Amino acid sequence: MNTNVNPPLPSLTNNKPSRLWSEKLRPVAYNILSLAGALVAWHLLAILVASPFFPGPAKILDAFIRLANAGDTMGNSLWAHSWGSLHRVLVGFGIAVLLGVPLGLLMGLHKPLYVSTRSIVEPFRFIPPIAWIPLAIIFFSGLPRFAFLIFLGAFFPVYTATHVGVARVEPIHRKVFLVHGASKFQVLTRVVVPTVLPDIFGGMRVGMGAAWLTIVAAELTGGTSIGLGRMMVDYSELLKIPEVIVGMLLVGAIGFVLNESLLLVEKRLFRWRWQVTL
Amino acid sequence: MSAAGKIKVQVSESHRYGDLLVHDRIEFDVMENEFVCVVGQSGCGKTTLLDILSGMLKPSEGHVFIDGHPADPKKQNISFVFQEPSNLPWLTVWDNIATGLKIKKYPHAQVTRVVEDIIDVVGLRGFEKYYPHQISGGMKQRVAIARAFATDADVILMDEPFVSLDQHTRESMQQEILDIWKRRKRTVIFVTHNLEEAVFLGDRVIILTAKPAHVKEEMAIDLPRPRNLLSPEFNALRIRCSESLNATRAAKSAEPA
Repeated sequence: MNTNVNPPLPSLTNNKPSRLWSEKLRPVAYNILSLAGALVAWHLLAILVASPFFPGPAKILDAFIRLANAGDTMGNSLWAHSWGSLHRVLVGFGIAVLLGVPLGLLMGLHKPLYVSTRSIVEPFRFIPPIAWIPLAIIFFSGLPRFAFLIFLGAFFPVYTATHVGVARVEPIHRKVFLVHGASKFQVLTRVVVPTVLPDIFGGMRVGMGAAWLTIVAAELTGGTSIGLGRMMVDYSELLKIPEVIVGMLLVGAIGFVLNESLLLVEKRLFRWRWQVTL
Repeated sequence: MSAAGKIKVQVSESHRYGDLLVHDRIEFDVMENEFVCVVGQSGCGKTTLLDILSGMLKPSEGHVFIDGHPADPKKQNISFVFQEPSNLPWLTVWDNIATGLKIKKYPHAQVTRVVEDIIDVVGLRGFEKYYPHQISGGMKQRVAIARAFATDADVILMDEPFVSLDQHTRESMQQEILDIWKRRKRTVIFVTHNLEEAVFLGDRVIILTAKPAHVKEEMAIDLPRPRNLLSPEFNALRIRCSESLNATRAAKSAEPA
């Protein structure tokens, strides 16, 4: 009597032809439309205002092409500036993840440790990375200075998300492992980490945002000739507004790409979760 | 009765939480490959009993021996089918079934062979790549049962595994678990508060008193399988169990405070 009493299940690959359009292409098409609309509005407004202090999109594009082809006044290319900033962010962010995740797991798994040290750890959260700039200028220079500041910006989002995520571990999942005789290490790697991973990724996206905000602020304070923040300061001193705006837009675009890449990894990694919304 | 052979599990324990005595010398044996059902009033410490049987909780006094050694999940193969959903949501049906085997570090080829085999036994063929949230409650419990039967379990403990299923699914699952047990002989201790379920499934029914619990009565169920829930013999046994269980309550309330 092995009758299947369960209702038929939806197929994993839903092949309805309209899905590609409704879920993937339509948002892209609408975003292109709204972006184009905004550019047209900006362009018309610039014509209306007709001031060198309010450049339109055409001027920005000119400045972008100039910077991309010839580089800045000192010959540093746009790519050198972008990669300079991105490189610092990746180093600082990487250290923040490497330290934030294990520390978050440790604090989450050993509540007494957290409770008895929280007066040290927690206040640091409220010191903005920018407030560390004066000290960072004294103690570090070059890459370590920027990596340090970015680390401060990215660490707490990653650490806090990991720490909070540990509470989501279901006692029943732990029990399944323990009853089969699992070691503490097996419970950590096969129950705790998979449970917390979505939270870690959420924290990483927030941390990446914070890191990117911090790098621009840190570069504005000087001590380098490379970096998008530096480039923007240099051109603002020359009152070259289009170049400054190119820098701003690049900062926004790179941050957007970083965030979307992390989201893409999340969607692949957490198929078991994302499919809940199928 | 299949239990002609050796004693597999020996239970003799008392347990208290602080001043509260929960188990008062619970003593019984389970034979190898026997299917034993334990029933008791709700709140008589059935879940505590299972935790003690699995070796995860040490009893205040006494012991649980499996093959003559104290129950220890690291040394023996103990499987547990929980009342609540216990599948890992990030693993597919296939990987969930393999969980116990992988924890015990079985060789890869053997994991594959055993899992492939048991998927057919529990009727989950075609659903190997599904995630737990994509399958029904009955199928989820089938995954948990497959996980329990996949290892060479010395003893399989079941904590009211069908309580959250609807009547129809529960009845077909009760039959299925007997089919699985018949094909892969294991020692099963099945805890429930449902007498009909206990009499339907068990070689033997162990009736616990209310708290502090001890064994009120052990009743052999000598009916041939498949058992007919409507037969007079079945009903006679069920009524006997019911009376025995009710007597434990009456006796408790008759005691002076």
